Amino acid sequence: MSETRARPLRAAAVGYLNARPLCEGLDREPASGRMRVDCASPTEVARRVAEDEADFALMPVAAAASVGDLRIVRGCAIGSAGAVRSILIVGDRAIDSLDELSVDLSSRTSVVLARLVLRARRAGREPRLIGCSPREAIESVRGGRGALVIGDPALEIDGRFPHVVDLGLAWWEWTGLPFVFAAWCGRAGSVSAEDEQLLEAAKRAGLVRRNAFADEHAARTGLAPAILRGYLHQAIRYDLGDDERRGLERFYEEAARAALLPKARVRFFDEDRRSPVSPPSLDTLLARGADGERLSAAEGERLLAQASLFDLGLAADAVRRRKHPDGVVTYIVDRNVNYTNVCTTSCRFCAFYRPPGHAEGYVLSRAELGAKLAEVVDAGGVQILLQGGLNPDLRIAWYEELFRWIKREYKLGLHALSPEEILHIARLERMSVSGVLERLHQAGLDSVPGGGAEILVDRVRRTIAKAKCTSDEWLGVMRVAHHMGLRSSATMMYGTVDTPRDRVLHLIKIRDLQDETRGFTAFFCWDFQHERGTRIEPGDHGTVLYLRQQAIARLLLDNVDHVGASWVTQGPEVGQVALRFGADDFGSVMFEENVVSSAGTTFCMNAEAMERRIRAAGFKAARRNVRYEWLTHPS
Amino acid sequence: MTLEALSRKIQAGERLGFEDGVALFAHRDVMALGQLANEVRERLHGDRTYFNRNMRLEVTNVCVASCLFCSFAKLEEGAPGAHTMKLEEAWRELEARMDDPPAEIHIVNGLHPGLPFSYYEELLAGFKRIKPDVVLKCFTAVEIHFFARHYGMTYVEVLERLRRAGLDSLPGGGAEIFHPEVRQRIASDKATADEYLEVHRVAHRLGMRTNATMLYGHVETFEHRVDHLLRLRSLQDETGGLLAFIPLAFHPDGNGMKNLPAPTAIDALRTIAVSRLLLDNVAHVKAYWVSMTPEVAQIALRFGADDIDGTIVHETIYRAAGSRSPRGLTVAELVRLIQEAGRVPVERDTLYQVVREHPRAWVSEAALKVRERKANKHLEVL
Repeated sequence: MSETRARPLRAAAVGYLNARPLCEGLDREPASGRMRVDCASPTEVARRVAEDEADFALMPVAAAASVGDLRIVRGCAIGSAGAVRSILIVGDRAIDSLDELSVDLSSRTSVVLARLVLRARRAGREPRLIGCSPREAIESVRGGRGALVIGDPALEIDGRFPHVVDLGLAWWEWTGLPFVFAAWCGRAGSVSAEDEQLLEAAKRAGLVRRNAFADEHAARTGLAPAILRGYLHQAIRYDLGDDERRGLERFYEEAARAALLPKARVRFFDEDRRSPVSPPSLDTLLARGADGERLSAAEGERLLAQASLFDLGLAADAVRRRKHPDGVVTYIVDRNVNYTNVCTTSCRFCAFYRPPGHAEGYVLSRAELGAKLAEVVDAGGVQILLQGGLNPDLRIAWYEELFRWIKREYKLGLHALSPEEILHIARLERMSVSGVLERLHQAGLDSVPGGGAEILVDRVRRTIAKAKCTSDEWLGVMRVAHHMGLRSSATMMYGTVDTPRDRVLHLIKIRDLQDETRGFTAFFCWDFQHERGTRIEPGDHGTVLYLRQQAIARLLLDNVDHVGASWVTQGPEVGQVALRFGADDFGSVMFEENVVSSAGTTFCMNAEAMERRIRAAGFKAARRNVRYEWLTHPS
Repeated sequence: MTLEALSRKIQAGERLGFEDGVALFAHRDVMALGQLANEVRERLHGDRTYFNRNMRLEVTNVCVASCLFCSFAKLEEGAPGAHTMKLEEAWRELEARMDDPPAEIHIVNGLHPGLPFSYYEELLAGFKRIKPDVVLKCFTAVEIHFFARHYGMTYVEVLERLRRAGLDSLPGGGAEIFHPEVRQRIASDKATADEYLEVHRVAHRLGMRTNATMLYGHVETFEHRVDHLLRLRSLQDETGGLLAFIPLAFHPDGNGMKNLPAPTAIDALRTIAVSRLLLDNVAHVKAYWVSMTPEVAQIALRFGADDIDGTIVHETIYRAAGSRSPRGLTVAELVRLIQEAGRVPVERDTLYQVVREHPRAWVSEAALKVRERKANKHLEVL
């Protein structure tokens, strides 16, 4: 019996040569009537499944674990049993003695595999990872720096480096099991038995055309046809049976033990049809989260929807206690200075900005700034948070002079310019992001505030802030900043058109980048501040939701040290309660904050009131700097 | 006693004693307290969370008492800011709202030495003339006691006369802290604890239902709070006439204790939770949003409270003491506040009879699915 569908399934597949045999004929009848397959990069394919833009996809298995609770099509995969040839670690010196490893970020599965293999071979030690493009990766190799090389560049790398480890082979030697790199995955129920037959047929048709694919690819790339034919016939294996399943299960097990991936189980679509599966209980998930195990997006979503407020709070509190057993809650004495309100983005949630040319537009003068900064110094402040609109009149030299002046005259820490502003300067100056950051860093920039992240799901961003950067751009600026040694915070503003799933995926994106850079010091979230008192707004709101959301963040962001309570938006009362829901930081004693107060939220709290609230919540209070180092003895 | 032992006691339905109460207040982990209280609250009420359409009115702030915590009362008529409404002025407050009328009028006043008793009788009768079914919850036990002294009547006489004029029920204000160590310091010249309790006892005997309060977070200790709660529990054992208990947070602005910090939100939640646990014979514990802010009141609905008070319309007593809560909330806002806590909003009357049960809204699976569908639809449009 065949079911009728309103629309064809939206499918996606990694666009690599080794995926072609699994996709042969899917663009023709009968398959094309049931599914439409787009090719994209592994990250993009995974994103589409996570953000429900694809029903199922041929996607990397690591990404599948991050999304969580996906089903797999039995029988089809891209894997290896022994040398894979296209996933290599190369170096000038022995791989086991490398200090740094350039990694191609387009393949998370390979990165996780590389880290597991290196840890296994080096008694748990691993080199520092540096994300870059495939070309940069190869070019960066020298001395103690090696590279993880993936795809075509790996296939033609023969003989270029004295030391090479084939990760397929390394896995085989370590575990005696095949490795599965990618498989057809989707949410439960998304793929029917008929669909699976079509995918199986595509594979059968594709396998016999491997030479043709290899030759076409050779003609396009200039790689040797013989190498590619050998690669598709001998290195890559397309089965997903019991042995491959054991290999995949072992991979998930090792990655979960190393807290690199959420604990994932391998579940085929056809198993669901035979017997329903019972998901782990909420208590199990909470206990795993509290113990520091990595949770998937699906698990986070389930907890957000179903766990009780207390269970979430207690689990988040347990994470906070494990990360900060001293029972100290920190805060910072700083000032938020909005140097200009002139902005070209017109975000719909913002009550602060004025378009260029508007009578109420301003740029603070040195005198105005100086007065504010002197007050900060007098109050014992240690930094300023400097943010503003995207003002087309302010060039990079203006910022450089400003930063140097602030450093020279006031010696305050500079937590300045969110990614959106950095991108704006880069566009204005026709410079690269790293070029801009390097110059600003030279001029005195100490750290980058995590503002403007809103929700790192582009569907949401396009709706609420059309002119703003994409999720990838935002994350990209942070990546560059982190690799330069700058630290930053991460934020989330929810409560517009975002769904619970969007909010969880936002956290996973931050976690993924943090795995690579370790550059985020802390996470803060708040809900969209519509005018207070009126409760008519488009999205999810409420204090209870805020507490739940913060607790979920503490549980999912297992690799971020600090979570802060946003008392500026939630009020000092709720901010204090939030300290029992996973936060270990109370944010800043703020002199002013123009953006949120334009939307009607105005709260003030001095250091004494802050410490009193911290103590009344059962903690010791300590002042901190932007790196979360204590400046006072906790008391 | 450890929290586990207390928890076992609570789950077994055993009554908690004085030491237990003090141990609960002193327990560091407010989350654990909240969870215990929440279990009791859910056993009693499930997710149902009550609110009503009420209107607060203070017809006079002239007061012979000189309570340290009060920023509202002005001692004498004619003092700056002193104001006593003319009857017509008070009635107009109701007349002006007859298109969406309150179900209950809640009146609390200063202890005015110069008004005739008939002022109060006429006040009530006038409201009933305008809206015969409006419930009048007026005059704290402290006022009733003052009336009895001032006009030379017994409590029964005062209550009977007011009842004939339209009084339905007494609010719980004026309880402050019962223990004499505290009461003599902060409220020495008004009804004592015994007098407050006696007024309620008499009212209950006459068939009226009343509320009770506790003003916490100033100079009192945890022992004083527990003593206060246990005195109320004894009264309730005797009469069963208390409908709801309402902890009131001290606000320091502009009063005789302005150097004290206000209690924090954690203390507010702790007090709600321990009240719920100790007052095993009082049906409802109220998170009075005016005192706590609507935000913290919402959290309190998960820490033992099952009522969030009402629309209020225009409160002046807390406002005078520096509260930054709004002066009133609409029914829609109250419903949303409750729904956001994942609870079921129930509009009630004064006696907790259901007027209307609203749908649960927020985290239900169904709601999530609707959202997802919307999100996907949005995607297709793009």
